[in-house]
Amino acid sequence: MSFPITAVSPVSAATPTSFVGPTAATDPTSGAGFASVLGSVEALQGLQSTSSSLAVQAVTGDLDDVHDYTIAAAEASTALEVTAAVRNKAVEAFSEIMRMQA
Amino acid sequence: MTIFGAIGVASTGLTVHRKWLDAVSDNLANVSTVRATSEDAFRQKYVVAQEMADGGGVQVAGIVEGSAEGRLVYEPDNPLADEQGYVRYPDIDMSSQMTQLIMAQRGYQANAAVVDRAKETYAAALQIGR
Repeated sequence: MSFPITAVSPVSAATPTSFVGPTAATDPTSGAGFASVLGSVEALQGLQSTSSSLAVQAVTGDLDDVHDYTIAAAEASTALEVTAAVRNKAVEAFSEIMRMQA
Repeated sequence: MTIFGAIGVASTGLTVHRKWLDAVSDNLANVSTVRATSEDAFRQKYVVAQEMADGGGVQVAGIVEGSAEGRLVYEPDNPLADEQGYVRYPDIDMSSQMTQLIMAQRGYQANAAVVDRAKETYAAALQIGR
């Protein structure tokens, strides 16, 4: 019993996903870069204030769920780490540009 | 689904299991609550869970109460006993409650583990490119 050998079908080009399409990228000339960063910092501040108000509820005995506080604290700390990572990358890139000599 | 989607879903699971623990603890606390035969017995509480839309987790749809019939026990010394010497006990199955207690506890722990793992995963994402 034999099987005919067929030609291997050519590899087709991968279709680009819609996640990183050109529309998703920020327009470099719009100048909204820092404004959007400030927006995310405000979101971080919101997470931290939620966490601290839940901490107050915990010590005053108004907290219904213990995990509400611990999860809010975990979210706030993770978001802070994300923000710090983004900021460090941005500063790194800026320093790299400043090191460029003509 | 936001950046902390998995944590939010696990948090709803934690809340439901905490309420289940509350219900079981109420049932166990009232396992010997005696009433006169002219009154309703303590009604066992059942937590009804319900999924949330768009994979948002789970929520408590409501608390359903069990039978008010209870079971009649002959206790003529009890001040609440009727002329025939009967009082009404709640019809709560202790072994079923203990089983539910374990299930609620394990479910809570499972959801707490999800929170931990999700946090570890996000921390791993921060290590990319370091």
